[in-house]
This record gives sequence, C-alpha cells and structure tokens, in this order.
Amino acid sequence: MVDIVEEPAGKDKRKIFRVKKEDLITAMKSFYDQGYDHLSLITGIDRRDKIEVVYHLHSFQKNEYIVVKTETLNDTVPSVTSIWQSADWDEREQYDMLGITFEGHPDLRRILLPEGWSGYPLRKNYDLSKVQFVNMDEDGNDYASFDPGDGW
Amino acid sequence: METTKPLNKYVELNMGPQHPSTHGVLRLRLLLDGETVKKVEPVIGYLHRNAEKICELDYYCDSLLYFDRMDYVNSLSMEAGYLEAAEKLLGIEPPERAKWIRTIMAELSRIASHLVWAGAYGLDLGMLTPFFYVFDLREQLLNIFTEASGSRLLTNYMSIGGVYQDFNDKIVYMIKDFIKTFPKKLEEVFNLFVKNDIFISRTKGIGVLEKDIAISYGVTGPMLRGSGVEYDVRKAEPYLMYDKVNFDIPVSYTKDCLGRFLVRYEEMRQSIKIVKQALDKIPDGPYFNPKAKKSLMIRLRGEGEAYGRTESSKGEFGVYIVGDGTVKPYRVRVRSPTFKNLSVLRELGKDVMIADLVAISGSIDLVFGEVDR
Repeated sequence: MVDIVEEPAGKDKRKIFRVKKEDLITAMKSFYDQGYDHLSLITGIDRRDKIEVVYHLHSFQKNEYIVVKTETLNDTVPSVTSIWQSADWDEREQYDMLGITFEGHPDLRRILLPEGWSGYPLRKNYDLSKVQFVNMDEDGNDYASFDPGDGW
Repeated sequence: METTKPLNKYVELNMGPQHPSTHGVLRLRLLLDGETVKKVEPVIGYLHRNAEKICELDYYCDSLLYFDRMDYVNSLSMEAGYLEAAEKLLGIEPPERAKWIRTIMAELSRIASHLVWAGAYGLDLGMLTPFFYVFDLREQLLNIFTEASGSRLLTNYMSIGGVYQDFNDKIVYMIKDFIKTFPKKLEEVFNLFVKNDIFISRTKGIGVLEKDIAISYGVTGPMLRGSGVEYDVRKAEPYLMYDKVNFDIPVSYTKDCLGRFLVRYEEMRQSIKIVKQALDKIPDGPYFNPKAKKSLMIRLRGEGEAYGRTESSKGEFGVYIVGDGTVKPYRVRVRSPTFKNLSVLRELGKDVMIADLVAISGSIDLVFGEVDR
C-alpha cells in the first residue's frame, strides 16, 4: 500500500499530493491508471537542505489537474520515463539545471547547457560571478570550460 | 585501390544551427540511409538565457519583461500567461475591463503569431509570395500594438493588476478596421497555399502524428488538435474572459502537416470572432487595480505556490511560481509548449526524407526564444 498524503491546495486551488521517494513509481502508475495520461511539467526546487520535485499531471478525459510532490536528500529520484515519454526531456532539463539524478533514465545528459559546464545554475548556491566559455571540439560538439580558448 | 573495410551504411549529417529552414537556432543530428532519415536528434540550447534564474533574482513586476522575450512573436500571450500565475500568487485581481483588454490583445497576438508561422512555413516549402502577404497583414497588428504599448514586438503592455494604458478611441478604431478587412485578405492568402499543388503534395500525409504518441509526449496546442484531440485550455479551464465568448475549437483528423495548417488557419478566424464579441462586451471602468499601484516601486510579496496555464499560439503555456514571502519569487518554472512539441520530432522524423523533415519541423511552429528560454 502506498502512502499518498493530500495536502491543503495551493493558491491556484489545485489538489496537492505528497508521496515518499521510494513509492513514487507505484504512486505515479496508479495515477496513470486513473486516467492522468499527460505529464505536463516536472519542476525541481532547491530547498537548500533538500530537493523537492514537483509533478503536474493532467487528465484529458476528466479535465483535472493535480500536483504530486516528492522530496529527496541525496539528489536522486526515480525516473518516470517508463510511464510518460514527455518525462524524458523534462528530466534532462532538471538534471541540467539542478543536478537531480533521475535513476533509470535512458539518456541522462545536459540538454540546454553544453557538456562540461560546471555547477548547476538553479541551485541556490550557484556562483553567478564565474564566467565560463563555450568552445567546440573536432566532432562539432560544444563544451564549456573556464579556459577562454582561441575564439574569445 | 582495394578496400578492406565495408563502407558504412549510414551517414551522419549535421543540420543547423544556422540552416535557413530551422526557424532560429535548431540543430539536428541526422543519421541517413541514402536520403532517408533513420534517426533525428535535436540539439537545443543555443539561445539559452536561463530566464528562470533571472526571474528568481528579480521582483515580481520586473520578471514580466523576460516573458516577452520568450516567444517574441507572441509576446502578449506570454505576458497573460505569467500574470495568470503571478496574480493568483499575489492575490491581486485585475478589474473586468483590464481582463477584456487582455483577452483582445492575446487574441490579436495569436493571429500575429500564426501569420508569421504561415509565412515562414511557405518559405520552408519554397513559396516566397505568401510571405509578403502575411507580413503586410501582420504590420497592421503591430501598428495596433505600437499604439497601445509603444513598441512593436516586445510590448510589455500588461502589468500586475491591469494593463499599462487604457484603450483609446484610436486603438478601438484600428482594431475594428482590422477585423473588418482581415477575413477577406486571409482567405486570399489561404488560397495561395491550398490551391498550390506543390504545397498540398508536400504536406498531405506527411508527418503523421498519432493521438496516443502525441499525448504521451505532452504535445499541446495546434499540434495536438491536428492529431484529432479536441482540447483547448481556453475551453477546458477558462481564464480571462474566454468563458463569456463563443468560439469553436478546430480539430483535424488527418494528423498530418496539412491538418496542422488548416487548424491554425481556422484558429485565426475564431480569434477574429472572439475579438469581435469582446469589443461589444467590453465595459467601462478602471483598467488598473488600485491595490497594485502603477508604480514599479511597490514591492509585492508572494507566499505559497500557484500554477497558471494559458493557451498560447503554440500550446499550453504554464508558469509555476513558488514564493517564500519575500519580494522575489523563490522558484519560477516555465512550461514551454514548443519544448514539448519539439521532443516529438524524434518520433516524427523516423523514416522520412530530408526534404520532408523540413516540412515536419516547420509544422511544429518553433520559436527558439521559448524552447531554450
């Protein structure tokens, strides 16, 4: 049996459910079976001592919108790509921006920032004053480093 | 010369990021078998500015600027999308007149966006003429935006609690003039497309997107309606004044590029219908909530969380804001419709010709300010 705790609704009056990280896949599968066939958004929030991951689910048949939240202390969350395809790029983006590792993701790489970028920009402790430079290697792939290179 | 190694069957080809038909800075890595595409991998991020981080560092009022710069051909819808979430979080309700004004402007902006798309799509498929026609039509809309806000593209017209400036007689006259002449001119442009055999043969039956794949990938907007799902946020969860006007949701069951074109064409006509009704129903009264003072000096504090979703011209545009009781948001997350719509290109681009891939990626309606944010 999975613990799905309903929390008071947010200011947008949408239902909020909180599940434990270990139960996430089971809970999400049960939501999918209830008709929530559209994973709208995955959001990672850096709460300084922990990372909160928020899923916005939507059902076309029922026309309902719900919020599912989970939290993690060691930056890893199970991946929901096996349930919704749209989780693929969303999880890659959250990995890129917040450094959340989604376990079981088929291809977890940075998506918006180039390979080799140091740090995760949406973390609260990210140092904005450091300048990083983007260069291109022989295969045409971008990579970032603190070295200005020839192009700059 | 004798060769010991067999020739590789597949060729890897780079397309973009500066290819003329990629609508900005989309780069595609293709795996080709002859001229047939076996695998597509979109590479994005060339226009990445991290608007989400910038919003965290700014006050609630100032963040609005960065939403203009996301979908820069449809900036008024973007502003409406941000305010949908921000006003819920801050607890500020705009007066009724402001909501009507926003509805009108968002619809006009939708028309402008679809016009740009149609022109660019014609260019993708080798038609130069419609481009000039649609940009002439769009110019009238940009004149309306200029009269209302003072700038053509990045309008910054709406603000928390209302709009920057009330509609005056000149703007109302310009809008009325526009909706009177527009449908006829649009039909002219439409005929340029659909009576062209080349256009039909290059879009009909190309890029078929099945309904279940579309839903699984989170595709929304005209792409989803082009796949036969009758779904529109304006009807499903009405915001602004969309529950007080009559309009229909166009759906295409052909699921191909031509279907998406027809859906967008019909949407423009429905938008005219909405604007027409809105101009009749718009009441007199204040255009700004006095609680949120017009000055940007006032620092509004938000606590809790709110997710606002709107139907932009590309699909479901959602903004999720988490506040911690200070003058700046704790976390802003943007659900960009084209980001999701682009991810389905990996499915659509399997086993098609390179020339068709251009037609398919054009039919998604990509704007890279929004994909990369």
